Amino acid sequence: MADIPYKDKGSLLNPLKALQFFARPPVTEPLEPRPASANYRGFHLNDWEKCIGCGTCQKVCDNAAITMVRIPGLPADPAQGIRDQRPAIDYGRCCWCGLCVDICPTASLALSREYVHTCTDAELDSYFVLPDPNGMHGRYYGHGWSKSADSDLVDLQRQAMGELEPSARGDNFREIVAGYDDQQALLEASRCVQCGMCFDACPTHMHAPEYIRAIWEGRVEDAVRWIYRTNPFAHVCGRVCTHRCEEACSLGHRGEPIAIRWLKRYAMDALPPERVKAIAAEGRVATPSGRRVAIVGSGPAGLTAAFDLAKRGHAVTVFEGLPEPGGMPRYGIPEYRLPYARLDQDIDVIRSVGVDIRCSTWVGTDITLEELRRDFDAVVLALGLQFGRSTRIPNSDHPQVRKAVTLLRQATAGEAFGTPRSAVVIGGGNVAMDIARTLARLQRREYGAARVTVTALEARSHFLADAIEVLEAAEEEIEILDARGPRECVVDGAGNLVGLRSWRVKSIFDAQGRFAPVYDESDERLHEAEMVVEAIGQVADTALLGEALTERLEWRRGRLRVDADGRTSEPWLWAAGDMVNGPDVVHAVADGHRVAAGIHAWLEQRESVQ
Amino acid sequence: MRPENYEAVNHPPSNEFELFFGPNHPGIEGNYALKVKLNGDQVVSARADGGYLHRGFEKLMEGRLWIQNIALVPRICVPDPVPMEVCYSLAVEELGGITVPERAQWIRVLQLELSRIAAHLFTFGGHAATTGMYSNMYWGVADRDQILDLFEELSGGRVYHIYNIPGGVRRDIPTGYLERVTRTLDYIESRLPDYDNLFFTNQVFVQRARGIGAMSQEQALEWGVTGPNLRATGLAFDVRRDDPYLVYDQLEFDIPIEQAGDAWARTLVRRQELVQSIRIVRQVVERLPHVGGPIRALIPNPLAWNLPAGEVYTRVESSKGELAYYVVSTGGDKPYRVHVRGPSAMHAVQVLENLTAHARLEDIAQIMFSLDACPPEVDR
Amino acid sequence: MSRQSLAPQLEFLLQEIEGIRIHRKGPRRVRVDLAAETLPALLELLKGRAGYVHLSAITCVDWMEQEEFELVYHLWSYETRVLVMAHIRLPRDPGVYLSVYDLFKPAAFFERDIHEMFGLYFEGSPDMGKFILTEWEGPPPMRKDFDGEAWVMNHFNWQAYHPDWLKEIEAQGGGITTRPEDVRR
Repeated sequence: MADIPYKDKGSLLNPLKALQFFARPPVTEPLEPRPASANYRGFHLNDWEKCIGCGTCQKVCDNAAITMVRIPGLPADPAQGIRDQRPAIDYGRCCWCGLCVDICPTASLALSREYVHTCTDAELDSYFVLPDPNGMHGRYYGHGWSKSADSDLVDLQRQAMGELEPSARGDNFREIVAGYDDQQALLEASRCVQCGMCFDACPTHMHAPEYIRAIWEGRVEDAVRWIYRTNPFAHVCGRVCTHRCEEACSLGHRGEPIAIRWLKRYAMDALPPERVKAIAAEGRVATPSGRRVAIVGSGPAGLTAAFDLAKRGHAVTVFEGLPEPGGMPRYGIPEYRLPYARLDQDIDVIRSVGVDIRCSTWVGTDITLEELRRDFDAVVLALGLQFGRSTRIPNSDHPQVRKAVTLLRQATAGEAFGTPRSAVVIGGGNVAMDIARTLARLQRREYGAARVTVTALEARSHFLADAIEVLEAAEEEIEILDARGPRECVVDGAGNLVGLRSWRVKSIFDAQGRFAPVYDESDERLHEAEMVVEAIGQVADTALLGEALTERLEWRRGRLRVDADGRTSEPWLWAAGDMVNGPDVVHAVADGHRVAAGIHAWLEQRESVQ
Repeated sequence: MRPENYEAVNHPPSNEFELFFGPNHPGIEGNYALKVKLNGDQVVSARADGGYLHRGFEKLMEGRLWIQNIALVPRICVPDPVPMEVCYSLAVEELGGITVPERAQWIRVLQLELSRIAAHLFTFGGHAATTGMYSNMYWGVADRDQILDLFEELSGGRVYHIYNIPGGVRRDIPTGYLERVTRTLDYIESRLPDYDNLFFTNQVFVQRARGIGAMSQEQALEWGVTGPNLRATGLAFDVRRDDPYLVYDQLEFDIPIEQAGDAWARTLVRRQELVQSIRIVRQVVERLPHVGGPIRALIPNPLAWNLPAGEVYTRVESSKGELAYYVVSTGGDKPYRVHVRGPSAMHAVQVLENLTAHARLEDIAQIMFSLDACPPEVDR
Repeated sequence: MSRQSLAPQLEFLLQEIEGIRIHRKGPRRVRVDLAAETLPALLELLKGRAGYVHLSAITCVDWMEQEEFELVYHLWSYETRVLVMAHIRLPRDPGVYLSVYDLFKPAAFFERDIHEMFGLYFEGSPDMGKFILTEWEGPPPMRKDFDGEAWVMNHFNWQAYHPDWLKEIEAQGGGITTRPEDVRR
């Protein structure tokens, strides 16, 4: 008590000490509304341009104060991960803790410096607000508690994926991507806020939120179970899918999206094949239906349809012309992206539910479509797009001018095609990168050095190939020249191909958006090479249909026309996959499900052929 | 209990009667009740009656994610919410093996001590009011408001700061904040002579408070008393010194004690603690600009965050005494059990009953306020 | 056994209790697990011979699946400054134990609280009447088999709001898609 001036007795004069207050200025509080601090946690603001309607705010709210409301007229684009929903907040429940602001993936939510609202009991509806940028009462009081780097509750960085260095992968086909280990998968899976944008964006609506959650909870078997509900090609998709899910991921708006594809790969790689087969077979109908379905083509579309139909008890036979099943994933995608063993695992599972795959059997020659029509209740065409298009520039029919898809098939089959010491690839899509990088590897193996040039019409930033493919190709010392249009395959006097002549591209599309490239002929280059490879697109080989059927069927812009179920104009004939939709693995899987569902429904009501 | 459920007891004709003291009574700190049996002005016995502020927090916390509970815990002790936030965060951090960055620890001490000052000012005000000295009450609340301004600037909220998060704090201190803190401390220090004149050394108050609600150190220890109430009986136990947490071991401060154990001694202990808290805050203000680094250890996505299984007992010295949290995790994303041990659990019940048992009616309110018995942390 | 060595005196003393398991959790935290029958002996030991005069709290944890209640007695000594957390397990049914009020007066509060919240009865505790839940007729609410949220959902209504902005949106074909109760976990 040493510092307190205490006296044990009072004094009559003590109260007079109060007189000093007359000399002091009074405490004055202004009558105007008092502005809140810069960090104040007042009423909500929501920037509707940034808000994607993911609902993560709703999930973190500890008072169950947030309701998601769909507002017609707002942009909704599942492919971009944008919903036409916005959060509405019940101020009878909200405690203005600001966790919603800190976790908002797009930083659209903030708390303002407004803090006064009064109403009568009859006006209680005013407690339920739909925050917008203007403030609760239409007047902006300034931003208070907003997203800040210190306090962001979402982890914007993904777990780094290990990859083979360029020096280690230049001359071999070893898989480049290492895959996540358990710890990385757990950490990556924990970043997910379970908004479901990925589900909406996926062509086959894979249950990504569910299998990500299962991985996080250590339930890998459940993850695989969720995966098999929509995708029997998950070893493949877990490596080479075009990951629309990741484009839509809400974390991708400000940071790196969840590595959904790598997590799918992790789950599939984690289980022994026998467990995967057991899980895939769950729900398989025990008694045969007595119906038979023929499927032409053992790619993702054909085999997915086969998987679904076989599980429903139908007898499915798949006819594959090439020696091995798998279609484009095997014969088009190089092994450094998709090892054959993994594709084999997916196909093995499909076989194990009772699908009969007959390889080296060409429909059209070894067996006719008519026979299939006669012997089966339904026939599915899943031919893929096996033929490469030609640029039809002068000398493009020279023997040293090849198609990328042909070379890729030969490379897979181990057939020698005369690896050129130098090559020019025409095209800027994934196939162009695939063949360029395959040729480079073969060249290094056979000659010790790679010389591959890629020329594409598009500017580098607009290449149709995945950015990572272009990046890795450049790392592997492939020369990539953008905005160059192919003019002529140059042949010397002795009839040997010496290279490709190209002009600089000034524009690709005309004012109406039609394909009409314009060149700068003064900027001409000769790319010397022993081989020119065309990778400018693919078409299906529908010769097996025969003239009469081809006449009868309906076509649209060169492709078979099918209805919403995937059925052609012939009631017994269905078509699915790349030949209908254009090249994309996961679309093909979705298509396979589609025709299988359609066929199954149809068969349920029909008499069997036999 | 609701007044309509109250049944008066029939006494034989005598001077004895029962008084239901509370629950919305200016002489009761918070919402609480005492069922007092009186013989004239003399208390014969007293029974505490709580539950008016029971919000079921311990059960609520079991149903919420680890991070969601930071919004619940400050509400458990209304006048001094920061120790609740810090104690919960410390428990989660210990369970999760999370190391709080140094800068965050210093900021936490800043908050804790400012909250202590604010809570003591509030208590002085309340205590003064129970002896009819309302000017002091207005002063206490008004001066506390200046500290609430500081909290508003720091955390966006005046009373419930929701500022501590497992791993650290949610925002860094604003620019110029430390100058404003210093100015506020200077102001409060300059007011202490006024408080002394009007209240602490004012004979009107001293005569009222001396000898009231006295307990000996033995009684205090027996009844589980902690905090300023215990220090007023001569035992210098302070969790900051004896079970240190954050950066208190790097700070210089005294633990004031008194000997008499009565209402006046408890008040004086708090008065001196206020000075010590100011001293601590000044040290923090000087040190903080030199402590760089992050204000938060990163935690996983709160929607997908499991803590390892285990149990912890964390303690913090709040303005009322020893505050402790016992948290059990079974490896999930929500607590399995959270037990909040508020210091007033002892003070507001047993101690209050024992001390008022020999008091006079006019002193009951003063005893409760001098104990700084805070019902929200009894009821949770 | 202990990970770090205790003050030798304390460790020596604790060993006197039969069947006790000691686990040093930190510089000032010791966890001991012992049989319920031996707890009073431990308390007397600690209070009488190691200066453990302060009972900080008694916590009850409901291990419903194991059909046990766990009681944790948190004891502090102003001299050794080490917190001892004594854990005992009791069968959930009948849910009875004895009071330690004679040794530690603060036990009265915690035992009463545990009784009304968990239904565990303490024989010899001075007052087992209700303190907080004086008008509650339901089961002890802190038990794991009492679903608080379900009780609330059954007895109270969510506030129904019909603001104009919502009516406008509904007229255009929009409306509420996800209510907060749909995403509770």
